[in-house]
Amino acid sequence: MSGEAVWALVGLGLGVVMVRRRSVAVALVTGQAVVLVGVALAHAKTGGDIIAAIALGARAAALATLLLLLVARSREARPVRAAVAPLARAGLAVGFALLLTWLVSITAVRSHVAYQAVLALVAFGVATVVTRRATLFQVLGIVLVENGLALAALTLPGGSSLVIELGVTLDLTLIALVAALFHERIFAEFGAGDTAALRSLRD
Amino acid sequence: MTSRTLVAELLIATPLCTAAAAALVPHRLLTRTAALGAELTGAFALALVGITLSHPMQAQVGHWVTVDAAAALLVGVIGLVGVASVLVSPSYLRTMTGSVEHLQRRERGYFCLLFAFWATALAVPLAGNLALAWLLVEGTTATSALLVGFSGKPRALEAGWKYLILTSLGLGIALLGVGLLAADVPRHGLAGLSWPELSRYSGTHQQALVAYLLVLAGLATKIGWAPVHNWLPDAHSEAPPPVSALLSGALLPAALLVAWRVEQALAPVLGREAAQRALIGFGMVSLAVAVPFLWQALAWKRLLAYSSLEHMGVIALGIGFGTPLALAGVAVHIVGHAVAKALGFYAAIPLLDHEPRSGGHAAVGIGRSAPPLGAAMGISLGSLAGLPPSPLFASELLILAGGVASGHALAAAIATVLLALGFLGLAHTLLEVVAGKSRRHNQARPAGLAPVVRLACVSVALLLGLLAVAFTLPSTAFISALMRGAA
Repeated sequence: MSGEAVWALVGLGLGVVMVRRRSVAVALVTGQAVVLVGVALAHAKTGGDIIAAIALGARAAALATLLLLLVARSREARPVRAAVAPLARAGLAVGFALLLTWLVSITAVRSHVAYQAVLALVAFGVATVVTRRATLFQVLGIVLVENGLALAALTLPGGSSLVIELGVTLDLTLIALVAALFHERIFAEFGAGDTAALRSLRD
Repeated sequence: MTSRTLVAELLIATPLCTAAAAALVPHRLLTRTAALGAELTGAFALALVGITLSHPMQAQVGHWVTVDAAAALLVGVIGLVGVASVLVSPSYLRTMTGSVEHLQRRERGYFCLLFAFWATALAVPLAGNLALAWLLVEGTTATSALLVGFSGKPRALEAGWKYLILTSLGLGIALLGVGLLAADVPRHGLAGLSWPELSRYSGTHQQALVAYLLVLAGLATKIGWAPVHNWLPDAHSEAPPPVSALLSGALLPAALLVAWRVEQALAPVLGREAAQRALIGFGMVSLAVAVPFLWQALAWKRLLAYSSLEHMGVIALGIGFGTPLALAGVAVHIVGHAVAKALGFYAAIPLLDHEPRSGGHAAVGIGRSAPPLGAAMGISLGSLAGLPPSPLFASELLILAGGVASGHALAAAIATVLLALGFLGLAHTLLEVVAGKSRRHNQARPAGLAPVVRLACVSVALLLGLLAVAFTLPSTAFISALMRGAA
């Protein structure tokens, strides 16, 4: 796997952690998915690999459509402010990625750089969920983790079977769909897709 | 196709078909269709349990489907709780308000989701490999999250959102572990991740340990183990009571079985001690986190949710100790917890009608103001606390004895202290519920009480039956089959 593709995936992921506008973040995760489809097609050796790449592309298109539709249907007067400033978020995400890479550095897989990218994307996804208040950004955090896992499936030796890849794609798309439904209900109930409003359940 | 595989397939197909039928049948036939679907599913679950437990050592282990003693145990529990949840659901649905058309649409949606959730939960213990098990566990998140937020109230939306995001994120981490394991199994593809193949993992000890911990930490979010349990009290307290019963009594142990199977499969690579230590760690932390909450005056369903955290910790300890005594305790604990916890959640339906404030405040004096309801709540809470003759007293005793037998005397001693503290907390609540001073309440007979009283009678019979077999279990073939696992 080329270094450019890896850097593009990591850079786009870091962008999601930092950007303010939801539509820009949706464009960034979709860009990631396009890079992943390219990598999948470049690695494809069998008909099954090509079908898996097509499924990845279909998932990317479906998610982009769904997320942009959500952005359009839940317009907010001003973006929901994150609890942490953009640069601090980026620092946190990169720090977490480095920590994760150090912790699991013993799992020396063949494509070491790609594996570090997988861990970075997972770390960025977790950081997005933790530091962003906007519900849509939390969904995008999960999509970031999913993109990282898709990269893992493409680069880890042996990869996985077509059945598993299609199943995972379907499952994760279903989760994104349910999250979208919740986002709409939360927006309708509270007038904003802001998780700060979701803090009544405490002991 | 063997009889076990056939029954397993029918078991999953029946609730799925009922979910589809619930979307299509005229509304007047909806409840009857749901009841019929539930009874058929329950019958298939019972048949599978009977077939498997008649020859527990003869496991059916395939790449897609595994029917062994552990699967039978969980299928029996999920089947039982599912049937009861469907049968009490009309009582819950009658508490909803709105226009007739709106209510009819919501009832239809409720049963579709409930049966889809039930089918997915039933499939988890039967999954023949780790990848399929992961897909099914993630699948339960999609359907159950919608059920958690079903009431549409702000608190339910909050609970559903937390549940969805935290468990999806956790399962993402688990998938990373699955990917790492897939990289170093001798066979690639789906077959490579089947339980027997997983035990032939060819990576290094450290690689296996990292992958195992990632899978375990990810599944912990779904099982509700501390410290990644934050969604659990919210989701269990805000979901419709029949769904809370399924979440607590059925889904948590089903996800736990996946963790158990991974531990059993990787034990030859990791070493039994290392694999078990992680489970004991999760068990101890869960117990320690749960106990302080059991001392608080919490709303009824919220208290039950924290009790789930405690009991998942106890089960983790039992699996971690891994001796025949401990595993006999685990088997009894899974069944006893499911029965007692489901009854407690079902009792929340008449409780909310009888004392509407109990949705947000501790229930007090129910034994005086509504004796049958107080009795049902008392049976549930007494059993969960481990008050003799509760089978959970016997199971905890077995697990602790198993801990000492396995050489984990210190862990067993700490667990004993924590369990005693938890017992005292719940015993205090039990006294308050049954004999406390009654608050202002609805004078009319609580709506939905009759099915709860009937279920309380069935629960007492089941719990006493379980107690009768508890101490004879350790030397049975069933426990030997649990020890051997699917690997």
